[in-house]
Amino acid sequence: MKLAFLPWLILFLPLLAAAWIMLFTRANRCRSAALSISAVVLGFVGTLTFVGANGFHPVQPEVSVTWLAVGGLDIAFGLRLDALSLLMMLVVTGVGGAIHIYSWGYMEEDRCFSRYFASLSLFTFSMLGVVLANNFLQMFIFWELVGVSSYLLIGFWYERASAADAAKKAFLTNRVGDFGFLLGILTFWGLAGSLNFEAIKEWMDNGIGFGSTDPIIVQSGLTLAGLLVFCGAMGKSAQFPLHVWLPDAMEGPTPVSALIHAATMVAAGVYMLSRTFFIYTPDALSVIAWVGGFTALLAAVVAVQQNDIKRILAYSTLSQLGYMVMAVGVYAPSAGMFHLVTHAFFKALLFLGAGSVIHALHHEQDIWRMGGLRRRMPVTFWTFMVGTLALAGVWPFSGFFSKDSILATAQHHSPALFVLGAAVAALTTFYMFRLVFVAFLGPERTSEASHAHESPWVMTWPLRLLATFSLIGGVLGIEGLLTGFYDPVGSEHPNGLAAQVFYPFAHAPVAASVGLASVAAGFLAAHWLYRNVAEDPLPARIGALSRWMRNKFYFDELYEATVIRLQDTAATVIDWFDRWLVAGAAVRGTAGVTRLVGQALRLVQTGSLQTYTFLFVLGVAIVLFAVLGR
Amino acid sequence: MSILTYILGWPLLAALALAFVPRDLRVVMRAVAILATGLSALLALKLFLLFPGAPADADGYRFVQQVPWVESLGISYCVGVDGINVGLVLMGAIVAFAAACCSWEIKDREKEFYILLLIMTGGILGAFASLDLFFFYAFHELALVPTFIMIGVWGRGERRNFATFQITLYLSLGALIALAGLILLYLDSGANTFSIPDLTRHIAEHPLPPVAQKLMFPLLLFGFGILVSLWPFHTWAPLGYGAAPTATAMLHAGVLKKFGLYGLIRVALPLMPEAAESWMSVLSWLCLGNILWCGFVAVRQRDLNLLIGNSSVAHMGFAFLGIASLNLIGLTGAILVMIAHGFLAALSFGLSGYLYQQTGTLDMNQLGGLLRRLPFIGAALVMAMLAGCGLPGFANFAGEVTVFFGAWKVFRAVTILACWGALIIGAVYMLRAVRSILHGPLNAEWPQVADAANPWRKLPFALLLASLLVFGFFPRLLSDKITPDAERIIERVDSPYGNGNVCLPGYDGAAVLTAAALELRVETDHSP
Repeated sequence: MKLAFLPWLILFLPLLAAAWIMLFTRANRCRSAALSISAVVLGFVGTLTFVGANGFHPVQPEVSVTWLAVGGLDIAFGLRLDALSLLMMLVVTGVGGAIHIYSWGYMEEDRCFSRYFASLSLFTFSMLGVVLANNFLQMFIFWELVGVSSYLLIGFWYERASAADAAKKAFLTNRVGDFGFLLGILTFWGLAGSLNFEAIKEWMDNGIGFGSTDPIIVQSGLTLAGLLVFCGAMGKSAQFPLHVWLPDAMEGPTPVSALIHAATMVAAGVYMLSRTFFIYTPDALSVIAWVGGFTALLAAVVAVQQNDIKRILAYSTLSQLGYMVMAVGVYAPSAGMFHLVTHAFFKALLFLGAGSVIHALHHEQDIWRMGGLRRRMPVTFWTFMVGTLALAGVWPFSGFFSKDSILATAQHHSPALFVLGAAVAALTTFYMFRLVFVAFLGPERTSEASHAHESPWVMTWPLRLLATFSLIGGVLGIEGLLTGFYDPVGSEHPNGLAAQVFYPFAHAPVAASVGLASVAAGFLAAHWLYRNVAEDPLPARIGALSRWMRNKFYFDELYEATVIRLQDTAATVIDWFDRWLVAGAAVRGTAGVTRLVGQALRLVQTGSLQTYTFLFVLGVAIVLFAVLGR
Repeated sequence: MSILTYILGWPLLAALALAFVPRDLRVVMRAVAILATGLSALLALKLFLLFPGAPADADGYRFVQQVPWVESLGISYCVGVDGINVGLVLMGAIVAFAAACCSWEIKDREKEFYILLLIMTGGILGAFASLDLFFFYAFHELALVPTFIMIGVWGRGERRNFATFQITLYLSLGALIALAGLILLYLDSGANTFSIPDLTRHIAEHPLPPVAQKLMFPLLLFGFGILVSLWPFHTWAPLGYGAAPTATAMLHAGVLKKFGLYGLIRVALPLMPEAAESWMSVLSWLCLGNILWCGFVAVRQRDLNLLIGNSSVAHMGFAFLGIASLNLIGLTGAILVMIAHGFLAALSFGLSGYLYQQTGTLDMNQLGGLLRRLPFIGAALVMAMLAGCGLPGFANFAGEVTVFFGAWKVFRAVTILACWGALIIGAVYMLRAVRSILHGPLNAEWPQVADAANPWRKLPFALLLASLLVFGFFPRLLSDKITPDAERIIERVDSPYGNGNVCLPGYDGAAVLTAAALELRVETDHSP
C-alpha cells in the first residue's frame, strides 16, 4: 500500500489544529481560522491523493496498533481503509471543508471566533475517527467524542439559556443511545471474543461458539445484540424515539447545523449501520426498517407546519435519515449510504443557504417574515432551488437517484414500506416548496426582507460548489462503488454517464415513476396552497392536527412527564433516604455507642485511690496468671 | 537508599524543617512546601520512567529497600514498588504537588497548615510504598490524623464541626476494623513477620485455614471499605469534602481514599483467596449502591462540593466492581480507575476551591454564566466534568470501560446497571453542574470574579489535566505495568469466575459469617 502514513495524518491533523488553536492562537482570529480550514482541506486533498494512489480498494485494508491490552481484552486503535470509509472520508472532509470556509464569513463578527474553529476541528477529528475505526470500541470512543463536540458546538452561544439547554439535551439523549450501544459491544465481545469488525464478521459466518445449539436461542440472542448496537445509531441519527434532540440542536450557529446534519454526527449512525451490516439478523433488520420508516413519516408530517426556516430543514433531515435507516433495514445499505452522500451535498447546501438568508436578515428565522428574496439574493436563491429540487428528488438531480434506489429495494422487500416511502417523498416536496414559495417568492413581508443583501463571496462560493455536487452527485459512480463494495460479484451497476442517468428507469421503472409522481403531487399541492398567500392556510383547514404538528406531537412534554419525572422522583427519594436514614441513623448509632461506652467507663473512674490500686493489682495478677499460669 | 525513601522522605523532612521557620516568613513556608512536594513528584516521575528497566526481585518488587527495626516482632522498614503501586505513587506525588500549589487560599496559621500538609503527603506516599504491614498501616494513620485537624481548623461552612465529627468517627472506625483484621492476619499466619512479600510467600506454602480467612476477610473488606466510602458507609465523604479546605479535599479524595482499595488488592485478595471468592458477589451489589444510589444523590445536590463529593463516592463503585469481578481485566481496570480518579478528584476539588475563593459560595442556584469571566478555570471545569462522566480521551474512560469488560462475564445484571450509572446518571449531574455554574446568562452579582492569570495558579490544574489526558490517550503506560503483577494476584485467587461464565447468586456472602462462626465453634469443641 502506498502512502500508508497519509490516513493517520488526515485523521490527526484536525485534532492538532484544535489543540494548537486552544493553546496558542486564541487571540489571533485569522490564524485560528486558517489552521482549522487548512487541516480539513488538506484532509480532503490527502484523501484524494490516497485514493489516486491506491484506488478505493487498497491491498492492505487494515492497519492497527494496540491501544490497551489486558488478558483476553485487546483493544486496537486501527484504520479500516476500504471503499466505504474512503468515500465517507471524502464526504466529511469535502462537505466539511466547504462548511469550514463558509464559517469564516458567517462567524466573522463573533467574539469567540477561535473557540468556534477549535470546536469545529475537534468535530471533524471525531467524525473521521468514527469513519476509520476498525473495531467496535474505537468506534465507540469516537462516537462519544462526536457527542461531546456537538455538545460544545450546539452550546456555542452558552449564554443563551436555550442554547445551553439544547446542548445538554443533545448530549443526554445521545447518551441513552450510547448505553445500548455499549451493551451491544459488550455482548458481541462476550460472544465472539473480539472487537474487530472483520473478526466478528468471520465469527458470524462460521457460526461457531454461539453459546447454544438451539437456533431459536441463537437467533434471538443475536437479534437482541444487534438491536442494542442499533440503539447507538438511534441516538446519533436521531431515530424515533430518540429524535427529540435534533430540532433543538438548531440553537447552534447555522454552519454547525449544516455540519451536524450533513457531514458529521447524524451521518455517523447510518454509517455505523452500514459498517456493521453483517451483524443484523432478519428480525433485527425488519425492526430497523420500520423504525426508520416511521421516523421518516413522523418528521415529514411535523415539518409541514414549522415556520422557522432551520426547523423545517431539521425535520427534513430527520425524515431523510429515516429513509436511510429504512434502506439499511430493507437489505440495501448501499442505497442508504448513497442517499447519505447525496443528502450530505444538498442538506449542507440548504443549511448554508438558510444561513445566508439569516445572515442577510440579521438573524430572522421565521419564513413568514421573509419573502421576495429571489430578487435580493439571486445566488442564494438559485443554489437553494438546486438543493430543494435535489431533496425533493427531481430527475436528474442527485437526490432522485439515491431516493430511487431506496424505493426500488423497498418495493422489492416490503410493499408497505414502499408506499410509506412514496408518501414521505410527496410530503417532502410539499414542505420544501412551501418554504420556497413563502420565503423566496412573493412580495417582501418585512422591511428587513426588502433591504436584504447577497452574502459575501466566502459564503456564496461554497454554495455554488455544493450546488454543483447536488446536481451531479447522483451520476458520479458513487452508487456503483457502493453496490460493488457490498456485492463484489453480483453488482451490475453501469459506469457510463448516459447509462447512469437513465439507469433508474431501466432498472426499476415502477419505483422511478412512482417517485416522480409523488414529487409532482407534492409540488402541485404546495403550489395550490402557498402561491401568493399572506398567512398559512393550513391551520384553518385541518384544525387540531395542525396544532399537534406544530407542537411536534408533544414528544418533549411526554418525556418530561414520564422518563424525566421518574428519574427525578427516584433521585429525590434516594436523596431523602441518604440524608436522613443512612447518615442520621449510622452516625447517631455509632456516636451513641461511643457515648454509652464512655458513660460505662466513667463509672470505673470513681476517684477513690483504693479502688484504683485494687484494679491495678488485679490487672497485674491476671497478667501474671496468663503468662505463668500455664 | 531506594528512590522511594527520597520520594516519601522529602515532604517529611520539609515538615520538620518548617518547624524551625519563623511564622512571619509566609513566602518561605509556601516555597518549601511546593519545593518538597515538587521534588518528590519529579522523583516519582523518574521512578515511573525507570520502572520497566529496573531489576525485579523474586516477588516482582523493584527499588526495594529493607531496614530491620523490631526484629522480635518481624517489623522492618521496607519499601518497594511493583506494577500495582507504581502508578499510585506517581499519582499521589503529582496530586500532592498540585495540592501544595492550590494552598494559597490559606491565610491564617499557615505554618501549621503546611506542616500538616507535608506530613499528610509523606504519610500517603509512605502508605503506598510500604511493603511492611506495620508501616503500611502506620503511614496511613500518619496521613489520616492531619486530615481531621485540617478540616476542623481550616474547614469552611456551617456544618464544619458536624463534618469533622463524622469523618473522624467513620474513618477511625474503619481503620480500627482493618487493624483488627491485620493483627489477626499477623497472628494466624504464624510467620512472625509483617513483611508483605514474606507473608505472601509463607501463606502460599501454608494457606490460612478457611475458617480464619472467613473471619478476617470481612474485617478487612468492611474496614478498608469504610475508608473508601463503600455504600452504605459513605455518608462521611461528601460532607467531609464539602467542609475540608481545598488541599485537604484534593489529597484525601484523590489519594488517601485509595488506600482502602490498595489494601484490599495488596493484602486481602492474595492472602485470603477463598474468603474473597465468597464475598465478591456481595461486594458487586454493594458497589451498585455506590454507583446508582450516590449517583442519584449527586443529581439532587445544589452545592458543587457535595455534588463532586457524591460523584467521587459513585466513582469508587467502579473500582469495587473491578475488584469484585476477580479476573485480570477487572482488577487492572480497578487500578486504572483508582489512578484516574485520583487525578480527577484532585482537579475537581481544586477547581471548586478556586470558585469558592472567587465567589464565596458553591450554591449552584446562585452561580451562572461564569464561563465568560473564567475562560481558563471554566474550560478546566468543563473538562473535569466531562472526564467525570467517562468521556474517552481522559484516563477515567480507559479504567471504567476495562472494568465493564472485566465484570461483563461475571456479573451481567450489575454491569448493565453500572453502565447506566456511568453513562446516564453521571452525565445528568455533571452536565447539570456545567449548565448551572458556567452556562446561561452571567449573574450580575459576580463582577469581581477573576480568572487564574498567574501561571502558578494555572499550573496545578494544567498538570492534573495533562495527566488525565496522557493516561487517557495512552493507557498502556499504566496497563502494561499493572497487568503482570495483577496476574500474580489473580493466579493466587484461582477464581472459578475467571475462566468461565459461572455466575454465583448474590446473597451467599452474608451467610458466610454465620457459617464461619458455627464452624469455629465446632472446631473448638473438638479441640483436645
